[in-house]
Amino acid sequence: MKEENKSASGKVVGGVVFAVGFIGALVFGWVIGPDLLYSQKAQPINFSHVAHQDTTCEDCHAFRPDGTYVGIPKIDKCKECHESQMGQEKSEQILVDEYIQKEREVPWLVYAWQPDNVFFSHAPHQAKGVKCESCHRPVKEEKVVPYFYENRLTGYSKSTMKMVDCEKCHAEQNGSNNCEICHK
Amino acid sequence: MAGAVGGTLLSPLPWKLTDDAAIWSQNWFWRPSPARGEITRKPTVCALCEGGCGVQARLVDGKRAILLEGNPNHPVNQGGICALGAAGLQFLYAPYRIAQPLKQTKRRGDPTGFQPIAWNEAVGELAKKLGQMRADGKPNGLAGITRRRCSSMDALLNQFFAAYGSPNLFKMPAHADSLKLAGAVTTGREAPFGCNIEDAPYILSFGAGLVEGWGSPGRMQAAFRRWRQGGKSAAKIVQVDSRCSTTAAMADRWIAVPPGTEAALALGIAHLMVKDKLYDAEFMADRVFGFEDWTDSQGKNHKGFKFLVQTDAYTPEAISKLTGVDPAKIRELAKEFGTQKGAVAVWGQPQGSVPKDMYNELSFLALNALKGNIKAGGAIGLAPEVPLGALPELPGDPSALKGLKQLRLDLASSQKGPPPVLPGNNLHGFLDAVSNGGKYPIEVMLVHEANPAYGLCENKLFQQALTKIGTLVSLSSYMDETAQQADLILPIHTAFEGFDDVIGIPGAPYAYYGVCAPVLKPHLNTKAAGDIVMSVAKQLGGSIAAALPWASHEEYLKKRAEGLAASARGALADKKGVELWKLQPEEAVKPNYKDGADLWKKLAGGACWYDAPVDPLKDLKTESGKFELAAQLLLAKGQTGDDDQVYLPHFSQVPPRGSDKDYPLLLVTYQMSALADRDLANPPFMTKTVFDFILRQNDQFVEINPATASELGMAEGDSAVLKTPQGEVPVRVHLYAGARPKVVYLAQGLGHKAYDEYIKDKGVNANGVVEVQLDRVTGLGTVWAARAHLRRA
Ligand code: SF4
Repeated sequence: MKEENKSASGKVVGGVVFAVGFIGALVFGWVIGPDLLYSQKAQPINFSHVAHQDTTCEDCHAFRPDGTYVGIPKIDKCKECHESQMGQEKSEQILVDEYIQKEREVPWLVYAWQPDNVFFSHAPHQAKGVKCESCHRPVKEEKVVPYFYENRLTGYSKSTMKMVDCEKCHAEQNGSNNCEICHK
Repeated sequence: MAGAVGGTLLSPLPWKLTDDAAIWSQNWFWRPSPARGEITRKPTVCALCEGGCGVQARLVDGKRAILLEGNPNHPVNQGGICALGAAGLQFLYAPYRIAQPLKQTKRRGDPTGFQPIAWNEAVGELAKKLGQMRADGKPNGLAGITRRRCSSMDALLNQFFAAYGSPNLFKMPAHADSLKLAGAVTTGREAPFGCNIEDAPYILSFGAGLVEGWGSPGRMQAAFRRWRQGGKSAAKIVQVDSRCSTTAAMADRWIAVPPGTEAALALGIAHLMVKDKLYDAEFMADRVFGFEDWTDSQGKNHKGFKFLVQTDAYTPEAISKLTGVDPAKIRELAKEFGTQKGAVAVWGQPQGSVPKDMYNELSFLALNALKGNIKAGGAIGLAPEVPLGALPELPGDPSALKGLKQLRLDLASSQKGPPPVLPGNNLHGFLDAVSNGGKYPIEVMLVHEANPAYGLCENKLFQQALTKIGTLVSLSSYMDETAQQADLILPIHTAFEGFDDVIGIPGAPYAYYGVCAPVLKPHLNTKAAGDIVMSVAKQLGGSIAAALPWASHEEYLKKRAEGLAASARGALADKKGVELWKLQPEEAVKPNYKDGADLWKKLAGGACWYDAPVDPLKDLKTESGKFELAAQLLLAKGQTGDDDQVYLPHFSQVPPRGSDKDYPLLLVTYQMSALADRDLANPPFMTKTVFDFILRQNDQFVEINPATASELGMAEGDSAVLKTPQGEVPVRVHLYAGARPKVVYLAQGLGHKAYDEYIKDKGVNANGVVEVQLDRVTGLGTVWAARAHLRRA
């Protein structure tokens, strides 16, 4: 009897240990792990899209004459208006003192930066009428730039689009999913 | 445990980590990641060789050059680019670049002895030393070697040496050295011959490496494209070569001859053309001197070329004995060449880095003269002068004149044989004089953009001379074999970082000028060589400073271009479709630039200037006023010999040193388009294109014929030692049916002892085992073969 009891309680203990391990791993895998994988980084200075409502998006995020996309503008673009300080904002002061006057580029952290093995061109997506918000966060109402979550392993942003997202949209929109479309 | 595994597997973590690990592996530090940003293109002219190609650099944000490609609007290369150019950006970012001025503080050659020194100190030190030498009345103790023979840097250095008072300025040897003197002998003009090869229907090439480069690889690429367009061959190419080179393989016909006998075959063909009256009789009678027998100014009678070439020495049977070419084949060739309208004979190596024997030059010219090619509208012309702005006249400063009165060291010092009657750019003779304690010591040697410690044929001559030279100053971008030996290094910009120019295209009959404008800012603490020379001149002051009055090298080039504009000659090729080979001699080309400023702007923007070829027979400065096949200049200079052939093209061959018994084979070195030669090291990208039967890891292969291999008991890949009277090197053996029996072929351009791990110790340096023979007429160091011995290692 004693032995039977022992084995029954052993099963229970085993079950509990299994459950603890199982649930623990699930919690770690789903909740803690992903957070551990990323480090939270702040942009070098704040950029308020709201404060730039007097310009159009294309003033800064333009296409060059050769069809390539400028992405985040360079310091020369900022200089066009901020040669000297216009307002009272601390970040503007840093922009002027630390970057514009010292002729340094702001080391912006890019939320959508793709790895080198991906060839991505904005132009055909724009031509197809894909909205910026389909892939990027909406910024119209944004006063404070969000944190940048950097993958500790890869160095890319948490919001960098994954291949599956590209494929899904290409499939839905009848775009080609051939390898060489994106991996040249 | 099992629970943890199960739970983990049901969570996204392992899959996410696998995905991330894949991306992480793309970011390992040795994987190159191109910079991102705005892509722009900046056209310029390539200064890596003298080819004069128009190229354009692709830049990221105007700061990082990522690609060099051919400029389709440029008339020389028409969008093409050679292997060196395509890999050329590697020089810019190479780890072996010199980042700041360095001074050797220990024993010469000790890499740990180099200490950084400020620019003003470095230049000050040099100027002080030179000032002292001049004050001591010994300015002739300064010597110089430059690579840039076809650029305004050459004129600038000439001006500096003349103003300072030294006659000892040399260039790295080139085929142009002997071609120029052949020009002086036959036409009275010291200019190299060029060939309108693009339009030639039949090209008889005596070892000319047409595919491998021949003066301007970019130009030759474009010419081949034209000839072979649509699979239809426009030019028939017959290649006379001892080895089945790339040109021979691509030619319509390959005539294999023993090394060094190409000129004999040329004269054999001339013999038949004269005998069978297949030559341009009118031209020979009216415009050529010395075809018939002639009388000199003393009234002495001499035999002419017509007589000489018809002697028994040049019958098909005699030539067949020398060359192994069947007499019937020689007859066939002579008939083909003699009757084909517009057929032209060409000669010279791919990268043109070795002068030829004067009688060789004259023999090939004679063959062209018989065809009537050397006249206006003929295929052979003399390179026209480019009327660039002149440099200030020298005031004739007494200290300088004193130095210049001293003969150049090679001519002043006692020599083994009789002195050359028509001395050229005799770097070998000079170095020989230095090492043998010449008439006066060389206290300072400037080496500009050249690497003689590696790239001079029989390079040990430079090493030997160096032991007698007080201070070696290197103006180099790279820590090459010569810079390693320097006492002071003044690092210069590489091509694409500073202003430079290209004057004329080697081998081309038309006039050409291109400006190499920087495509990006220099990223190291370097200067333009011209600026360095100018600041030394400024510090020396007085007449030397006055002789180099410009504020910068850029301004100097601008003034040169303004002078060109003032000549109101030539035009700019700034768009597609300019066909330089269609220009007629003396054709009036209408200038399409407004003024000097406009011309400079367009030149600096990548367009090039061109002008029509000149009539090679116009205003001949020879004694007879004709093209001289019988060289009265040689007679006037005191050339003597047993018979009249010393004034005429003829075949003679000085056997290489050593005996047949000790060295039963011959060594011939060759250039290939995948290997840069002489002064620049192969960029690693280029080395990647070298076949692994030429270079495998660090082993270099020599080519031998399978029959020779079996005689030697060697098989493919065997290790061996190649020995010549000059030295020995370890090699491996590659069996090649295109190699002539009993000849060993070794590629040039490998075996560096400097630079980085991708260049250093790869293969062997051919320059260490070749043999230089000083030409009897010009004293130039010529190379054809060395005796060799190959034994199993
Ligand atoms: S041929 Fe000479 S000039 Fe032309 S791209 Fe090559 S290295 Fe430059």
